[in-house]
Amino acid sequence: MPAAFKARLAAIAAFSAVLLPLPEGPAQAQNPVPAQAPAAAQSSTPAQSTAPEDAVLYIIYPRDGQRIRGSFPVRFGLRNMGVTHAGDRTPNMGHHHLLVDTDEEIDPTEPIPTDRQHLHFGAGQTETRLDLPPGRHTLQLVLGDADHRPFRPLLVSKKVTVTVLPPRRTKPPQTSRAQR
Amino acid sequence: MPGESTSHVVGSPRRLAAILAADISGYSRLMGSDEEGTLARLKRHRREIIEPTIQEHYGRIIKTTGDGFLAMFDSPLEAVRCAIVIQQTMAARNTSLPPEQWIRYRIGVNLGDVIVDPDDIYGEGVNIAARLENLADPGGVFISGGVYEQIKNKLVCGYQSLGDEKLKNITDPVRIYRVLPDPAAVAKITRHRWSWAAAGITSLLILGAVGWSVMQPERTEGARQGAALDQPAGTTSAPASADPSRTGATSSARAALDTLPGMPPVPPPSSGTLPIPIVPTPPPSATDAGGPTVAAIPPPVKTPETGLGLRDCQGCPEMVRVPAGSFRMGSEEDSSEKPIHTVQITAFAIGRYPVTVAEWSRCVAAKACPDLARGEDMDPVRNLSWLDAQQYVVWLAQSTGLPYRLPSEAEWEYAARAGSSARYWWGERMAPRMANCKGCGDPYDPHQPLKVGSLSPNPFGLNDVNGGVAQWVADCWHPTYQGAPADGSAWTEPDCREHVLRGGSWRNDASYARSASRMHYDTGVRYPAHGLRVARSL
Repeated sequence: MPAAFKARLAAIAAFSAVLLPLPEGPAQAQNPVPAQAPAAAQSSTPAQSTAPEDAVLYIIYPRDGQRIRGSFPVRFGLRNMGVTHAGDRTPNMGHHHLLVDTDEEIDPTEPIPTDRQHLHFGAGQTETRLDLPPGRHTLQLVLGDADHRPFRPLLVSKKVTVTVLPPRRTKPPQTSRAQR
Repeated sequence: MPGESTSHVVGSPRRLAAILAADISGYSRLMGSDEEGTLARLKRHRREIIEPTIQEHYGRIIKTTGDGFLAMFDSPLEAVRCAIVIQQTMAARNTSLPPEQWIRYRIGVNLGDVIVDPDDIYGEGVNIAARLENLADPGGVFISGGVYEQIKNKLVCGYQSLGDEKLKNITDPVRIYRVLPDPAAVAKITRHRWSWAAAGITSLLILGAVGWSVMQPERTEGARQGAALDQPAGTTSAPASADPSRTGATSSARAALDTLPGMPPVPPPSSGTLPIPIVPTPPPSATDAGGPTVAAIPPPVKTPETGLGLRDCQGCPEMVRVPAGSFRMGSEEDSSEKPIHTVQITAFAIGRYPVTVAEWSRCVAAKACPDLARGEDMDPVRNLSWLDAQQYVVWLAQSTGLPYRLPSEAEWEYAARAGSSARYWWGERMAPRMANCKGCGDPYDPHQPLKVGSLSPNPFGLNDVNGGVAQWVADCWHPTYQGAPADGSAWTEPDCREHVLRGGSWRNDASYARSASRMHYDTGVRYPAHGLRVARSL
């Protein structure tokens, strides 16, 4: 977006001229800063990150069809790739996203959504704890790249189904993760 | 007192002042139906809204009457701003009440020479303000030509010329303007308030037939066409064609104003509905921002003062004042939003919009923020972690010397609700052109949020509180409100792993755009739909 970039340069120049009553030198010295903008802008619409063909993403626990009472841990498994935090562009590294009760197609070009059904683990977590209301639920992992986009080929786990049993004692149902 | 002259009346100096006169419309009716309740609410409004607002605008109350008050300001700009803030805040208060209990002020502002006594003011300047107030619509602000000349280029509002009027017991005709805090409302006025306007114009006609002779001929032709176009079938046509100057300026102003981010709405004076602003034409899109039609109004980035907002420096985010009050925080819809609890909020200022790319770029230029901003100037800055957002407010506070910070979660919800206890500030159901979320209707781009201010502001004057970019707040994430503070402060612990985001994003569905909806995300992780809105203590 060269036009937008120019406009931004102009805006920054205008701002610095109006707001920072500095001598000429420092104002010009700021130019190198926005000059980095194209790199940042390009990084937002990169080609999809590629994953090795033999990479495997899987849910270690719970097992498919498991019946569980109360809150339970979910452990994430990844073979032939590494787990890192979001924003890290090292090749063959990514971070986990857990899809809960989601039937939506994964858009391979867009960042994985974040909401109550799409849980992000951008700090590089490899497990979490879920507290879901009683009933059948599905769990699926998707590995995302530095920008939370799916890899190519799409790296997803098998979808597992668990049944959460009603609690023995009354307790408000929780759909949120991140218990502390 | 500056500018005073004691040449003829000892102890009663004359001076030039902006006079604000206000009274409650339908006071007798309100008192008749619920005397104690009305009085209690009246007193509370005076204490919580009117007195602090006047003070904030460097004015002082000269006297109060049963149903109104008279205030004096050094600056006509501050007086009009004060009037708008009062009307907007009252509108927000009214939203939670049935229409028959609404307390609505009529306000007139005049600039004139007055005689100042210790406890009263006299003179034609005061009388004109009182007459303007009498003419004003409930919830509306009328100003004289003198005030208009002083503020027209400084306060970006819609001004609807009502022509010159001969006022009772005033020698010379007075030019009258109606202030429309939302420029887009100029069109709304002619479309939706037509029956009221017709009635008002008819009464004005009777009041001041003399005013006809001083109509502005150059305005009439365009105005007549505009008026005729907008007029719904079946309403009175006689006043429109007979006196086009009353609606003068509207059609031309509308073209210029509709494409701008809306200023906060005025409550509709005569309809029984909630004050839902209706923006009748599409907002500026990515391609036509700064198009030819906005020439009459300076673009927001360049103006230090737009609307009733305040900007602490050029390039600082535009702020709106949020009045003190209490509200019921949370909802029954999601476990994270329970329990619903009462929170007291002290007055504070909050960004009218999420922080924009242009605003963020200043922090980048100062080498205080990471260079993440992409998009155009008026896009909300995004792909921020909580730490990035925090970095920006720290820089803003340091560079301005003012207590900028992230809003607390409670402050955010209070400001987003703007007096409403419903799911959205306008009601229980998603409505077209109100929110920027998935499945919430056009305008919508699945790849990016709308530019800030593309949709209607809420009664407090905040834009973009429903969708767009989700906004980081100061609070650590807690899965429920069990144990949450009730004083409006942020609920934090050191080094919490996750922080709270409010408002939902354009990628979420309508349920996330609710006022009570909460989201959370890792503190140090960036996500493309996450931005921020700044707050500042007053």
